[in-house]
Amino acid sequence: MATFVDRYPEEASVVKASLVVSFVALGIGALFGLVQALHRTGYFRVIDSVDYYTVLTGHGVLLALVFTIFFLVGLFTWAVVQSLERPLPDIRLTWAWFGLTTTGAVFVAVAILAGFVPSIDMSADVLYTFYAPLQAHPLFYVGLAMFIVGTWLAGADWFLAYRDWRGDNPDERIPLQTFMVLTTMLMWYLSTIGVAVSTVFFLIPWSFGIVETVNPLLTRTLFWFFGHPVVYFWLMPAYLMWYTVMPKLAGGRLFSDPLARVVFVLFLLLSTPVGIHHQYLDPGIAEGFKFIAMTNTMFLLLPSLLTAFTVVASVEHGARQRGGEGYIKWLGALPWRDPAFTGMALAGALFAAGGFSGMINAGMNINYLIHNTLWVPGHFHLTVGTAVALTMMAGSYWLVPQLTGKRLYSRPIGLLQVVLWFVGMVFMSNAMHRAGLVGIPRRTAEPQYQSFDFSAVIGTVGELRAQIALGGFLLFVSVVLFLFNLLLSAFEEPIENPVDDSLPAPLSGASGSPVVLDNLRLWTAIAIVLVILAYTLPLASIVGDAGLFGNVPGVPVWVSANAEVTIEALTEVIA
Amino acid sequence: MNISRAGLLVLVAFSIPVAVELRVLFGFFGVDLPLAAVVVFEAVFLLAIAVVYNLGAEPKSATKH
Repeated sequence: MATFVDRYPEEASVVKASLVVSFVALGIGALFGLVQALHRTGYFRVIDSVDYYTVLTGHGVLLALVFTIFFLVGLFTWAVVQSLERPLPDIRLTWAWFGLTTTGAVFVAVAILAGFVPSIDMSADVLYTFYAPLQAHPLFYVGLAMFIVGTWLAGADWFLAYRDWRGDNPDERIPLQTFMVLTTMLMWYLSTIGVAVSTVFFLIPWSFGIVETVNPLLTRTLFWFFGHPVVYFWLMPAYLMWYTVMPKLAGGRLFSDPLARVVFVLFLLLSTPVGIHHQYLDPGIAEGFKFIAMTNTMFLLLPSLLTAFTVVASVEHGARQRGGEGYIKWLGALPWRDPAFTGMALAGALFAAGGFSGMINAGMNINYLIHNTLWVPGHFHLTVGTAVALTMMAGSYWLVPQLTGKRLYSRPIGLLQVVLWFVGMVFMSNAMHRAGLVGIPRRTAEPQYQSFDFSAVIGTVGELRAQIALGGFLLFVSVVLFLFNLLLSAFEEPIENPVDDSLPAPLSGASGSPVVLDNLRLWTAIAIVLVILAYTLPLASIVGDAGLFGNVPGVPVWVSANAEVTIEALTEVIA
Repeated sequence: MNISRAGLLVLVAFSIPVAVELRVLFGFFGVDLPLAAVVVFEAVFLLAIAVVYNLGAEPKSATKH
């Protein structure tokens, strides 16, 4: 039986191209991560401290947006094509969205990396959270807009494929992987309205000088309108693999198709009306709205807990099919030699820890304890940095052979790589969480202060720094192993079946789930109503207080080239 | 108990979060565990699973057939 590349060669080329962009971003972003870890812990400072923020922005944008989302568009293309069992309707549209998204990403990367060259009058050290008043070069915002529109077109491509399939199969249930893709994209369309409005109507005109001032709280709120759901945009590809690929790798079948559908519907409904929980300490938003955001956020725990149950049940079923017995001993029957399985399992284990620290972030009162401390990067390195990134890397060991028709260069190196990521992340994120609890700030090149020392409750701050540096180093080595393993795989000889790519039917199939779950119009309408309820009054209040365009001139981040302008602007903002 | 080589690697990995949080666990009970104690704990754990792994390993000749 032929694999994906033999059945759909044109689609395989697009998926491969998407993964190449994704992995290039991963390599650069990982190098920046190492530089940061060694710089702020004081072990090795190879860059000027001003450039730390260029590195930090590059790390955040290249990994959180480019690596994850290019992997997502590749994976979703694969998932739609193979689950609908038909090619995409027009491959020219597919290449068009790939080209637009890639050009946007290149613009963004150029604007950020130019910050290293003082002679170029361009910089975008605005961090991954690119709201005002920090102002980037217009190229950064234009690139972001192109990138977002590219993802919209990708979604349109998948919806068109689904429409064609529906025409031929009017009475069938939506295949599970396509259902996951479509619900995720509906959530994405809804949530990216915030960042699109912010970028197109406020940030681009402001960066070009067409509009002189900006309302920072409005751009912050619109950013987080998108900035929290984007977390689920990263996470849903991981969920897709945990639900549909991991049970197969474990030797079993998905425990429940209906539960998987419920989870994706819940994410469509609940992902967007929660963004204000990132703004608990922002003045200008009433406490009541923050409380509503907190309540909505706590509801989001439900789909994650359902996922934990369903995925673990599916994996246990697989282990028992392989001869596993007992309450705990079945764990030993799992295919730990397979880097794809082990990586996903370890990613899931650390995601549980990230979920618990996320509850601290989401709680309005205890959030004050850790707000803007190193706890927060500790948290999201467990979620996007492990649950998502490690699942994507592990999934690549199973997915890439289907796209190339070549076997993986080395499974043992793959296994070492995923384990190394787990160990490195345990060291780094554990220390970050603990450092955050004693008040050590995030986003700081040199977190040392005169006449003040942070005091760890258990152990010393020096030990925490050592853990962060060691963890960062292990993570970088892990990425290098991953990239070389895939690169060397490209030189393997093509074979007919490089990997078993069949996906078994779930134990409890779609026929057992209510038909209403497939009513995408209904869920989208409810999701829109929830967003209107959560955001109308806060946004009206923010605009009422300071106007659409506010009164803040902004702070251009051309630090080296425009020091005087920056200082002048800063003085004005502070005044 | 038989442990595969891959299982051994995963067990070693899982011992790391236990070790780095050991002092926090003891801290809940008011015991201030020194860093050296954590290092010793990890070393003893690694030794123990190495022994279990070796005891469960099949003789080399048996793997050829």
